[in-house]
Amino acid sequence: MGLSFSLKKSFPGHKTEVELSIGEEVIVLFGPSGAGKSLILKLISGIIKPDEGLVAVDSEKLFDSRNNIDIPIRLRKIGYLFQDYALFPHMTVYENIAYGITNLSVPLARQTGMKGMGIGQKVRELMELMRLEGLENRYPNELSGGQKQRTALARTLAAEPRILLLDEPFSALDYQVREKLRGDILNIHKVYPITTIFVTHDIEEAFMLGKKIAVVNHGRVEQFGTREDVFYRPKTKNVAKFIGTRNIFNGVIKSINSRGITIYAEGIGDCIAEQKPDHELSLGQKVSFGIRPEDVIIRRSDMPLNRSLEHNLVDGTVTGIIGKGMNYTVYFKSKEDVSLKIDIPNTAFKRLNMSIDSNITVSLKKESIWIIETLNE
Amino acid sequence: MDLFPLYLTIKVSITATLFTASIGLVLALLIAKKDFFGKNLLEVIIMQPLVIPPTVLGYYLLSLFGRSSSIGKFMEDVLGFQIVFTWKGAVVAAFISSLPLFLTPARAAIEGVGKDIENAARLLGKSEFTILRTITLPLAWRGILAGIVMAFARATGEFGATLMIAGNIPGLTQTLPIAIYDAVQMGDDFTANILVGIITLFSFCVLYFANRFTRGRF
Repeated sequence: MGLSFSLKKSFPGHKTEVELSIGEEVIVLFGPSGAGKSLILKLISGIIKPDEGLVAVDSEKLFDSRNNIDIPIRLRKIGYLFQDYALFPHMTVYENIAYGITNLSVPLARQTGMKGMGIGQKVRELMELMRLEGLENRYPNELSGGQKQRTALARTLAAEPRILLLDEPFSALDYQVREKLRGDILNIHKVYPITTIFVTHDIEEAFMLGKKIAVVNHGRVEQFGTREDVFYRPKTKNVAKFIGTRNIFNGVIKSINSRGITIYAEGIGDCIAEQKPDHELSLGQKVSFGIRPEDVIIRRSDMPLNRSLEHNLVDGTVTGIIGKGMNYTVYFKSKEDVSLKIDIPNTAFKRLNMSIDSNITVSLKKESIWIIETLNE
Repeated sequence: MDLFPLYLTIKVSITATLFTASIGLVLALLIAKKDFFGKNLLEVIIMQPLVIPPTVLGYYLLSLFGRSSSIGKFMEDVLGFQIVFTWKGAVVAAFISSLPLFLTPARAAIEGVGKDIENAARLLGKSEFTILRTITLPLAWRGILAGIVMAFARATGEFGATLMIAGNIPGLTQTLPIAIYDAVQMGDDFTANILVGIITLFSFCVLYFANRFTRGRF
């Protein structure tokens, strides 16, 4: 089932205006904290009423300000996973999951469950899917964070939602648990292919879960596209920043030919970019362009220069080194005072044998330079 | 020794508490959940007995339900229902003065049930009534019960307003606190001591158990 919405909502100091149309897939709403991602889910579900707009599942309208349609939350059949789980603390895991299945009261649900009929079978299936076996009689305060969120997810799925909204569901959990639950989400989507919106501010999570990503900033969708598009071809400086392109510069187009686009940037000099952006470019135009930290290559002085790295060389000094476990982040300053952030793997770092104040030469890989947007004079 | 005041106090307190628990619960739900015109004013009026002198409250009730007011006249002539100088007057006084003690904890408990939890139930397809019955009240019951106990304790000790509206008629409207006042006035220390002992022990027990009972895991 497809979901489409176009929503407007104003609060003092915050304005949301979004429009998206999605199919039976997992899409990620990604953006910094306070960008209004959760609010979008609340508007879709009806927890908060939009000022104006439209929400529709296939052709069925759930909200339409023009025709005064506002279907109550309970009839929308939307599943919603809260960041703080929102489990019913006075009910066991079993009762929580069974709660949404029918309108039976909880004791009755428990009875039928004991007889192994309808509800009980369904609850057990979900418990198995969510790795919750053996916990049916536990209360939420006797569960770990991961177990709580899995219970909440099972409870949501039990009600057979048409749309699944996940509101930063894993942000309160530790890294390992989060990793596992992300895998669960992808598995569940295979079993129940429901239209799913996943909200996160975690870049890794966004990349892992969403084949398509909508980057949200200040209540608007700044870019919506495949994850490759968003990550390697950001359309605005903000998107580039959110996805971790720390190295963003302004420059002027000097030439455009079959070898690439040459941009002159102060402090760096001439830079050749291979990738053509979607928009038209002309000579003399001002543009911003960027390169991801892992695509800046530090040249090894003891080896001849690789042909692929002979472009876009910048001399300068190392100003900082931070070890991050899997890799190192090196901060670099060119002779003309332009700063760069460089990520290199541990093994490469060890071979380079450098320290703060070392003089090094870096290469901005021409195939990795991305022209983000054109700038007005 | 005449135990009528003890009997009357229990009868009045239980009746008043029944009103508090029913009418008060509706008010607590209304105030905790809804925004409506005059909500603030309603709250201020309900809370008044906490701050105005009981005699003033009693005077208001007397003016409202006495024969000189149209409400009092209507109740007496049409409904055949006399409030002033009957035990029913004592119930009204106990109800009005104990309502704020119920409302504060009950409202806090209802508001304390997280919005997300109630929304989760809504998203699972439940009606407002089902949510109230299966989520809100089961989660707020400790606070509501604490309110009921406080209101009951307050009702048993009601003095000033009761004296104004129900009077001090031995064997008819003389409640325990009023009987104590009477006994002291007449120098009957023996009766006063016993009645004081009863009411002290009672209040102590009520608060002790209310305190123990309302501490819980949720």
